[in-house]
Amino acid sequence: MMGAQPFETIVGAHHGEIYRYLRRVTSRPTEAEDLSQETFLRAYRSYRALDADANVRAWLFAIATNLSRNHFRSEKRRRIALQTASVENREADPEGPEDEALFGEARALVESTVRGLPLKQRLAFIMRKIHDLDYEAIGQGLDCSPESARAHVFQALRKIRVNLNGHALPPAGDADRRPSRSIDMEQPR
Amino acid sequence: MTRKPHDCLEIEAELIAAATGDAEPSAARRVEHHIGACGACRGEFHRYREIDGVVGTLRGVAGGADAEVRARQGLESRLAGLRSRLLSYHVFPSPLGHILIARSEHGVSLVEYLHGRSDVSASRLGRMAGVELQEDSAELETLHRELLEYLRGDRKRLEWPLDLRLARSDFHRAVLRATAAVPYGALTSYAGIAAEIGKPAATRAVAQALRWNPLPIVVPCHRIIGTTGTLTGYSGDKIGLKQRLLAVEGIKAKGKRSDSHVERGMLYHYERNDQHEYCLPTCGDIVRHPIGPVTLLASRELAGSLGLVPCTSCRPDLHPLAA
Repeated sequence: MMGAQPFETIVGAHHGEIYRYLRRVTSRPTEAEDLSQETFLRAYRSYRALDADANVRAWLFAIATNLSRNHFRSEKRRRIALQTASVENREADPEGPEDEALFGEARALVESTVRGLPLKQRLAFIMRKIHDLDYEAIGQGLDCSPESARAHVFQALRKIRVNLNGHALPPAGDADRRPSRSIDMEQPR
Repeated sequence: MTRKPHDCLEIEAELIAAATGDAEPSAARRVEHHIGACGACRGEFHRYREIDGVVGTLRGVAGGADAEVRARQGLESRLAGLRSRLLSYHVFPSPLGHILIARSEHGVSLVEYLHGRSDVSASRLGRMAGVELQEDSAELETLHRELLEYLRGDRKRLEWPLDLRLARSDFHRAVLRATAAVPYGALTSYAGIAAEIGKPAATRAVAQALRWNPLPIVVPCHRIIGTTGTLTGYSGDKIGLKQRLLAVEGIKAKGKRSDSHVERGMLYHYERNDQHEYCLPTCGDIVRHPIGPVTLLASRELAGSLGLVPCTSCRPDLHPLAA
């Protein structure tokens, strides 16, 4: 069984997003580069066996997530990554446009909280809140049920809430303007 | 944290989900109802909405675009390397014993008799450097089926894309290509192939190249025999396999081992002539001309399909050979 589309198409459509996901998960460009390459090399080995109607994006996220978990299995490695992360991230993120500057401080706090989360919570949070994956897909990468995936995101938000305690935040105007995600997440894959 | 009433604890997960746009409609209604009556939770709800607003701004933030481009370029080059070394293979039983087929993305690169063994460890693949192997029965299923049809005599062509990179040299590849052009039911000799590729003195080298044929059956080295009609060799000393493959194509061989030879008296003969006429073996002394210059043909249909016409003196059209 050949995959439904040539592999070049898969790379073209998804490499950028997978790289950015791993960039955020690892916080280091070289690790993200390695892991994103490994993700697609692994995908290449097995994409021919993929069903024609498979959700390729969710499948790639699952591979990338698995590789990240193996990568961070050594806690020491993760600590080193964390120590360098805050410096590098600051360099990589230029100040946003003026209306975004309002969020600057709060955002930095959120980011540092996310970096300090237990790995599964961090991965689930990034997949859900940054990449809009549904819980079914998130569960695949984390080897857990959609309900557990949802619980990881819930725990992550609670920790952010605690860490931001007493910190003044801009009103939720932007949040109101963003489309609700309460419907698409329940669609069957 | 201050202690919360039971109801508030109960609804906390749904409240967070609702405030961050992640709740099912029924949960969102429950939350709405609850915060209508509970001021503390209403405060929490708005707090989570604010947090969600901040989280939303993280979406636009990514690593540098340059790093992304670099990562992509690195991927392309590693992918090209993987593609050139990755072979998927499958081992399956056949009337000729277990056979391994391996293919790259360019085409089929190896067909191998495992001679009494049934696993990949018996294959020469294991001894190849720079090759990455992957068992993949699904991808090779069609090839497997077609090969079994061929061995049963239900299929006369294996129209597979071939990857000749496992051949040992360009000379070997030239020999394999010339051999692949010998049609089903026809026989020529090692000398005939040597002449075909413009190296008439290289008969022994041709025989060596076919000894290392990585694609037996599909590159039909069993159709290449000695100039006098002896089968000479096949896959080491497996002359019996050669006889069986020829029998599938309607060509009978007599004798055992090194004596084994095809019966020329049962085959039509074609020696290059301007009229493109093929003959009975009894036509003149053609039966004594060396194979190579003479091509042997199993049937008149085959001769016809090659654009040949019956000889006007021996008239194979009027005197067919016994089947």
